[in-house]
Amino acid sequence: MSTAQATKNCITLKGSAQIIAEYLKYGINSILFQRGIYPAEDFDSTQQYGLTILMSKDPKIQTFLQNVLSQTEEWLSKNMINKISMVITNVHSKEVLECWDFKMQAESGDGDSSDPTKLTTTKELGRIQNEIRDVMRQISATVSYLPLLDCICTFDVMIHTLQNTEIPAKWDETGAVVIQNPQSVQLRSFSTGLHKVDTVVNYKMSS
Amino acid sequence: MDEIRSSMDNIMAIFNDSITHSAPKKLLFNRLSTSFSDDFVASPKKRRLEQESPERSLNTSAASLNGSSTDPLSSWQTHKLRAELVETKAKVIQLRNEIDQQNREYRQALMLAENKSAALKDQCDSTSKRYSELQKEQLTLRKRELALKDEARRATSELAQLKLKYEEIVGNLQKEKYQQEEDARDVQLCINNELSEYRRMAQRSDLELQSTRTELERLRRRYEEFKARVAGHEELRGNYEMQTQSLRAANDRIQELQFEIQSYNDWKEVTKASQARLVSLPDLQAEVERLRNHNRHLNTLIGDKLLLEEQVHDYKTRLDREEGARAEAASLQVKLAHVEQELKEWVKVAQDHCLANTLVSPMALRSRIEQLLQEDIIHVAEKSASLSDSKHLQNTVRDLEQKCAIYLKNIEDLNIGLKRHKNFKERLQRKLITVSKERDFYKQLVENFDKDMTMSNASVADMTQDMQVRYRVEVLERTVTGYKEMCSTLEREIQAMRNQELLAEPVGDGYDSVKKELDTLRLENDRLRRRKEELELEMMHRYLRGDFNMKDYKVVHLKQNPAAEAYESSQNMMEKLQAEIERLKRRNKKLEDDQEQRLNETTSTGGMTLNFKEFNQLRADLESANGKMRKMKDCFKAARDEYRDVCYMLLGYRIDRIGANSNYRISSMFAEGPDDYLDISLNESSCLALLESPYSQTFNPPIDQQLAASNFPAFFSALTLELFQRATVTIN
Repeated sequence: MSTAQATKNCITLKGSAQIIAEYLKYGINSILFQRGIYPAEDFDSTQQYGLTILMSKDPKIQTFLQNVLSQTEEWLSKNMINKISMVITNVHSKEVLECWDFKMQAESGDGDSSDPTKLTTTKELGRIQNEIRDVMRQISATVSYLPLLDCICTFDVMIHTLQNTEIPAKWDETGAVVIQNPQSVQLRSFSTGLHKVDTVVNYKMSS
Repeated sequence: MDEIRSSMDNIMAIFNDSITHSAPKKLLFNRLSTSFSDDFVASPKKRRLEQESPERSLNTSAASLNGSSTDPLSSWQTHKLRAELVETKAKVIQLRNEIDQQNREYRQALMLAENKSAALKDQCDSTSKRYSELQKEQLTLRKRELALKDEARRATSELAQLKLKYEEIVGNLQKEKYQQEEDARDVQLCINNELSEYRRMAQRSDLELQSTRTELERLRRRYEEFKARVAGHEELRGNYEMQTQSLRAANDRIQELQFEIQSYNDWKEVTKASQARLVSLPDLQAEVERLRNHNRHLNTLIGDKLLLEEQVHDYKTRLDREEGARAEAASLQVKLAHVEQELKEWVKVAQDHCLANTLVSPMALRSRIEQLLQEDIIHVAEKSASLSDSKHLQNTVRDLEQKCAIYLKNIEDLNIGLKRHKNFKERLQRKLITVSKERDFYKQLVENFDKDMTMSNASVADMTQDMQVRYRVEVLERTVTGYKEMCSTLEREIQAMRNQELLAEPVGDGYDSVKKELDTLRLENDRLRRRKEELELEMMHRYLRGDFNMKDYKVVHLKQNPAAEAYESSQNMMEKLQAEIERLKRRNKKLEDDQEQRLNETTSTGGMTLNFKEFNQLRADLESANGKMRKMKDCFKAARDEYRDVCYMLLGYRIDRIGANSNYRISSMFAEGPDDYLDISLNESSCLALLESPYSQTFNPPIDQQLAASNFPAFFSALTLELFQRATVTIN
C-alpha cells in the first residue's frame, strides 16, 4: 500500500522535462502575443494553469515549437541544458532587442538519489502549476515596463547545451547573442523538484 | 445550277440591253433632266423650226436665188443675207449647244446606267451566291426530306405492324372476353344452382329450426321438471349430510368411551402394581439402607482417589521445578566457572597493581584505583593549570612581544630622533663654522678698515698714494676672494641641506607623513571598495544574463527557425523593392525626358497639342465636310446652270458676271453675233449703269435717251422685240 502511494505521487526526470517543455510552450506563445511579434488575430485563446493564454495559430510556428520543445524535453531529461534563450530580433537590422532566458538548474529531488538517472520528487503537480502560473502572470506584466518594439521583429529559440552534446540533424551551432546596453529583470522561479527554472528577461535599454 | 446561272446571265444581258436602250426614256423622269425634257418639249418647236428653217432657208435661198436671179446684188439683199447668215449662225450655235448638252446628258445617263449595272451585277452575284446556298440548303433539305420520308415509311410500317399486333391483341382480348363471358355465365349458372341449393338448405334448416325449437321447448319443460327434482334431491342430500354428521359425532363418542374404557383398564393395572409395591416397602427400605452404605463407601473411595490425584499433581510440579533448577544449576556452574576465571584475572590484576607487601583484596584495589583517580585528577588539574599558565605566558609573551615591538619602534624612533639630532648638530656645527668664518671675515674686514684708517693716518707720509692704492686693492681682493669662498661654501651647504632635506623629510616630520599615507590609503580603500561593488553588480548582471562559463556550453538552434525565414523574406522583399525602385527611377527619367521633348515640341509648334484621336476625328470631320461641300457645290452648280438656262430661254438674255467687280455682260438670244453684248455695272448705291461697248454704239437712237424715257426691263424687252422682229422680218 505504501509503495503504491509512493509511485502515485512521484515525478521522474522525464515528467519534469515534460512539465518544463509545456511551460516553455505556453511561455513562448504568451511572449509572442504580449510583445506583439505577430498580429493578434493569429492567436487563439486557451485555458491553462488557470489562466487564459493566447496560442499562435500559425502552423509554421506551431511545428517549429513542436520540434524545438521535443528536442528540449529529450535533453532536459538527461540534464544537458544550461539555459534556453528566446531571442527577439529586428528583421531588417538583425539587431537583438530582447532575450528571454530560461535557466535550468538540476536538483536532486527528495527520492532515492543513488542513481542519477532515476531521480524522483514527490512535489505535487498542483503546487508546481501554481508556481508556473505566477511566472506566467509576471510575463504578462512585463509589457508595462519593457520598451515598445516599434519595428518588424522575429524570434528564435537557442538552447545552451553541454559541449559534448551531439547536434541532431536540422540543428546548427550558433553564437551567443549580445544585447547592446542591456538591462536585466529576473522574474519568479519555479521548481519541479528536479529542475529549477529561472526566467530572466534581458532587453536593450533605449537611450 | 449551271442552267440557272446561264438563265440568270441571259436575264442580265437582257436587262443590260434594256437599260442601255431605255436609258433616255428612264432619264425623262430624272430631275436633272427636266431641262432636257423641257428641251424635248421645246424641241418639237425647234425641230419644227429646224424643219422649217431649211425650207425657209431653201425659200430664202430660193428667194435669194430668185432675188439674185431677179434682182442684182443690192445693199438690201446683202443686209438680208447677212441677217440670214446671222440667224443661221445663231441657230448653228444653238444646235451645237443642244448637241453638247445632249451629249453631256447622254454621258451622265450612261454613267448612271453603268453604275446601276454594276450594282445589279453585284446583286446578281449575291443572288447567285444565295441561289447556290439555297440550292445547297435545298439539297440538304431534300436529304432530310428523304430521311424523313424513310423515317415516315418506317414509322408507317411500324404503325402497320403495331396495328396488326394490336389487332391480334384485340382479337385475343375479345376471345378472352368471350371466354370470360362464358365463364361468367357458367359461374352465374353455378351460382344460381348453388343459390337454389342454398335456398333449399335454408328451407330445410328452417324446418330443422322449427323442430329444434319445439324440441327446445320440450327440453325446457323437462329441464324445469329436472330442476324441481334436483331441488328434491338436494333436500335429500342435506338430510343425508346431517345424518352422516350425527353419525360421525356418535362414532367419536364411541371412540372416546372406548379410550375411557382402556384408561380405566390401565388404572386398574397401575393400582394393582402400586398395591404390590406397597406390599414390598420394607424390603425396599432395607435395600435403601444397603445402598446408602454402599454409597457412603463409594464416597470415601472417591475422596481417597482425589487426594492421590492431588499428590500426583504436586509431585509433577515439583519434578518440573526440579528440572528447571537443575538446568539453572548447570548454567550457574558454567557461570561460576567463568566468574572464577574472571575473579582470577581480577586477582591477577589486583596483584599487578597492588603493592607487593599488601594483601590482595578488592578494597585494596579500590583504594588503589581511587588513588590513581585522585592522581589523575591532580594531573588534570595541574595540566589545566599549566595550560592556563602557558596561555597566560603566551599572552604575556605576546604582550611582551608587542611591547618589544613598541619598544623597538620607540628605539627606532629614538634612533631616528638621534640621527636627526645628530644631523641637526652637524648642521649647527657647520652653521657655527660658517658663522665663525663670517665673523672672521667681518673681523678681517674691520681690521682692513682699521688698517686703512691707520694707514691713512700713519703711513700716508712714507707711502706714495700709488702704493697705498695698490695695497688697498690687494686687501680688497683678498676680502673679495674670502667672500667668494664663503659664498661657495654657503651654496654648497645649501645644496647639501636641500639634499638632506629631501632625504630626511619623511623621517623628519613622521606624523604628517603617516597621516598623509593614511589618507592616501583610505582613499585607495574607498576606491577599491567602490570597484568591488561595481564588480559585484556586474557579476550579478552577468549571472542574470548567464553569460559566464560560456566555454562549457554551446549554443544550438533549429536551422529552420522563424528568424531565418523572416530574414530571408525581408531580404527578398528588399531586393524586390530595390528592383522596383530602379525600375521606377528609370521610368521617371524616361518620363522626364519625354516631357522635355514634348515641351520642346509644343514650343516649336506654337503650343498646339492635339490628341491623336482628336486629330483623326477632326480629319474625318473635315473630309466629310469637304465631301458635303463638294456635293453642295455640284448641286448648286447644276441648279445654277439650270436656272441660267431657264432664264435664258424664258427671258431671252444671258447674263454673265465678269471680273471681281460687279460687272455684268448681257447678251440677247436673238443677237446677231457673240460680240453683241451690253455691259452693265452695279455701283455702291445699288444703281445699275450701262457701260459703253462696241455693240451699244450701234444703236441708232442713243441708248441714254431710251433709258431716260424708260427703265432697264422696258429697254431690254424693247430690244428683244426689236431683235426678234428684225430676225422675223429678215426671214419674212
